Amino acid sequence: MDLLVLIQIDGRQCALRAVDVQSVMELEAITPVPHSPLHVLGLSTKRSQTLTVVDCRSALGLTSHPNPMGQRAAVIRQDEHSCALLVDEIDDVEKALSDVSPISEGFGAQWASMAVGQIETAQGAALLLDVEKLVEGPVEDAKAA
Amino acid sequence: MDDLLADFIAETREMLEASQSEIIDWEADPSDRSRLDAIFRFVHTVKGNCGFFDFPRLERLSHAAEDALADVRADRREPNAQLVSAVLAIMDRIGEMTDAIESGEEFPEGGDDALIRALASSDEETGIVESKPAGIEDLTAGQDNSKGQKRNQSASANARTIRLPTELLDRVMSGVSDMVLARNDLAHRLRQSGNQPTIDGPFERLTTILGDVREAITRMRMQRIEHLFGIFPRLVRDLSNELGKQVLIDLEGGDVELDREMVEMIRDPLTHIVRNALDHGIEKPAERLKAGKREIGLLTIAARQSGNKISIVITDDGRGLDAEKIGAKAIENGLVTQSALDAMSREDILQLVFEPGLSTAKEVSSLSGRGVGLDVVRDNIEKVGGAIKVTSTPGLGSLFYLNIPLTLSIISGVTVGVGSQTFAIPQSYIEEIVQLEVDTLDYTLMGERGLVTFRGQRVPCLALSDLLMVESDMELEAQTAVMIRLANGDLIAMIVDQVHNIGDLVVKPLPPVITKSEYYGGATQLDDGTPILVLDVPQIALNAGLISDTRNQGRSSQLDSVAPSETGIYVMLFKGLDSRQYAMRMGVIQRIETIESAAIDRSGSHDRIVVNDRVLPLIGLDAGYQLAENLRVLRIGDGTSELAYAISRVDDAVMIEDDLAPANGEEEIEGLAIIEGSPVAVIDSFALFARHAQSAPNISGLRCKIPDSDWARTILAPLVSKCGYAIISEDSKEPVDLAIQMDDSEIEIEAARRVITLHEQETAKSDNADRIYRYDQDALVAALTEAKAKLAPSKSGESEEAA
Repeated sequence: MDLLVLIQIDGRQCALRAVDVQSVMELEAITPVPHSPLHVLGLSTKRSQTLTVVDCRSALGLTSHPNPMGQRAAVIRQDEHSCALLVDEIDDVEKALSDVSPISEGFGAQWASMAVGQIETAQGAALLLDVEKLVEGPVEDAKAA
Repeated sequence: MDDLLADFIAETREMLEASQSEIIDWEADPSDRSRLDAIFRFVHTVKGNCGFFDFPRLERLSHAAEDALADVRADRREPNAQLVSAVLAIMDRIGEMTDAIESGEEFPEGGDDALIRALASSDEETGIVESKPAGIEDLTAGQDNSKGQKRNQSASANARTIRLPTELLDRVMSGVSDMVLARNDLAHRLRQSGNQPTIDGPFERLTTILGDVREAITRMRMQRIEHLFGIFPRLVRDLSNELGKQVLIDLEGGDVELDREMVEMIRDPLTHIVRNALDHGIEKPAERLKAGKREIGLLTIAARQSGNKISIVITDDGRGLDAEKIGAKAIENGLVTQSALDAMSREDILQLVFEPGLSTAKEVSSLSGRGVGLDVVRDNIEKVGGAIKVTSTPGLGSLFYLNIPLTLSIISGVTVGVGSQTFAIPQSYIEEIVQLEVDTLDYTLMGERGLVTFRGQRVPCLALSDLLMVESDMELEAQTAVMIRLANGDLIAMIVDQVHNIGDLVVKPLPPVITKSEYYGGATQLDDGTPILVLDVPQIALNAGLISDTRNQGRSSQLDSVAPSETGIYVMLFKGLDSRQYAMRMGVIQRIETIESAAIDRSGSHDRIVVNDRVLPLIGLDAGYQLAENLRVLRIGDGTSELAYAISRVDDAVMIEDDLAPANGEEEIEGLAIIEGSPVAVIDSFALFARHAQSAPNISGLRCKIPDSDWARTILAPLVSKCGYAIISEDSKEPVDLAIQMDDSEIEIEAARRVITLHEQETAKSDNADRIYRYDQDALVAALTEAKAKLAPSKSGESEEAA
């Protein structure tokens, strides 16, 4: 747990483990997937690899991203599948300056359910997000489907 | 046996390598017992395997080492350096012997006793054995030279086969699939940028290489099905003991290869069917004797490859399936209604065993009948794109018939468009593609469910745009119906905007977050790299409620409306390109197809059309007719030859029960029928085939020998074979019916029943019909035809009888 990719979602500084992030891409064409959960925007490709595009804003219960085209997304690999996590901004790679501390009350249920914990970096505190849970989507959503 | 032996050698060598480090550690510290386990396991396994293979020397060595090590493990003996060396020497010897077995050589006699003695003596006074290790070293040193050689030899033998972790294979396979996709992407970009000879050449080469690699990799993933079959003898033995039955298993076609992944996917379904057969199918010995059968039941599993499908047939000679019981149970469980059941054939009733919630077993045994039934088997088979059917003769046994594709990852599929989106449908499900506008399918809404009439059968409809909530502004008239045949035999129509393409698709799995919607089976990419979704057809049909209850509805409505009766003729009505109404007997129609006009050849005296790489005579096209982009044709066949009949649209299937009015003077018309007040010309199928059918080549079965020259091979041979002869080259010694020779040739033709001589020069016509100028085509054809008639009178007589 050394390097973190710092990202912005809805004005909050968040982080992903750098080891989880394979690359960063700009989203081009997205093939919509009818009947998929709201936070799954569709399929895209990067170097002939099929990616599932996940809107982190929707996954966190926020209003969905207004215009995903041309936005940057973090590519992660999970089991056999690759996903592109669409976030508001991808900032930098930073060293973690602390261990992960569990989050306390008051972060909001959605944020809390997607977070591993809080972590310190040179650019301030960041909420370390759990990529697996982001891909799974909001909990109610899973139940409804 | 060879396979087993190879496995034994590979396993021995692998364990030997794996225990190398243990040995070294143990050598460094003989008192470290934790190292002992791996070594003990090695000698133990070798000992066990040797007994099986009858290698007495290996067995003796490993047995001795095992004994010694067992003593150490049981604390009966203190390990010391001598023991370690003795064990090591034995392990080396085992390795050498394994090499010798592999290369098929005899291992030099002797030396084993000394090694074993070294083991035994080392637990005696250390003083006595002090010299022994030296003896061992001598022994091995003496073999050093030959050993070195042998190692080299065996190293080269090893290179022929290697064992690889399957994950690595999977990675290579998926890498190659990605390469194919990347290539497609590149191809698309190259096309866009126009012709570039300097790039196109190497690119073509890349394409070819990639094709080869892909094929090789696919083969690498292939596994013989006997790996799967291997589990059954034991399973059958254990189960039949438990059930008090006697069952013999017979496995066939173990050398059939299929994708390793597929082997895994069908393991459970097959096991289930075998268990079922033993549990419910095959009777107890006493019962079998009473029924006049052999005491021992027979279970057969046979695998066959046909094209890119594998069929597996599981038969047992047990009591068979009881259609009445199945029917009764199905009614009891609300699967069908009594009236629906009455209308079903016995065969259809039997297929009900694959419906969920149908188990006819009276008592739940420990093996099957626990609610996990054949419905799960069918689901799993369908999941991999396969199909399953059952037939049975009461009292004599049942037969399960499985059909599965060779691989999972590359399938043939059809891409369809709806709204602005594209989806893929596996081709294995597609029965036919029908244009709604052209072939009035009579779309009606029954409640919320759309129905179309397809060949006189009411077929439920699914509009893909509604199903996937994709907006489509296309009129229903302009849309296309993809007729889908589900594995249980049900037909459904899926309405799409357009059908784009048919091709090989590399299917990638989707993450659970998408698959849980139960609409998609995977994702693939178009040539331009756009990802598209592959529809999970059976699941969609199931979720739409189209699987079990509609089956009977569909079938029975077919029976009501147009059951072929004895009195009338069952015909398909269509409009010809001359706008006239025609009717064609249903029996000759094979399918309706839309053909691009590029596939039509109108240059010759007869129109021809290319359909699925076959050239068929095309009829129904007037000389002056201007071709549109596409042409609808009926493919009709008489069993041996096939014709294509151009039409403008298909109307309906009807039964003509009244007598036909004569159609005077029209050769290809059988008569006129009155349908709904209008005259319809019924096509005379006999006249049609008599006039247009291509005579199959070599129909005479006669063989003709031609001169051995370029002229004869390239110019003469086609004419001769067109006249119905099989061509035999001149140097062949086989007897022939006819021989053609040039007049200057000296070759004696004895074996021919008749000889035609050709002249180089055009001279005055010869009286002899068998001496012809070589470019006098009429005379040559006449001679060949006349010869054929004379040479094969009996044969042509036979074929007429057969016809």
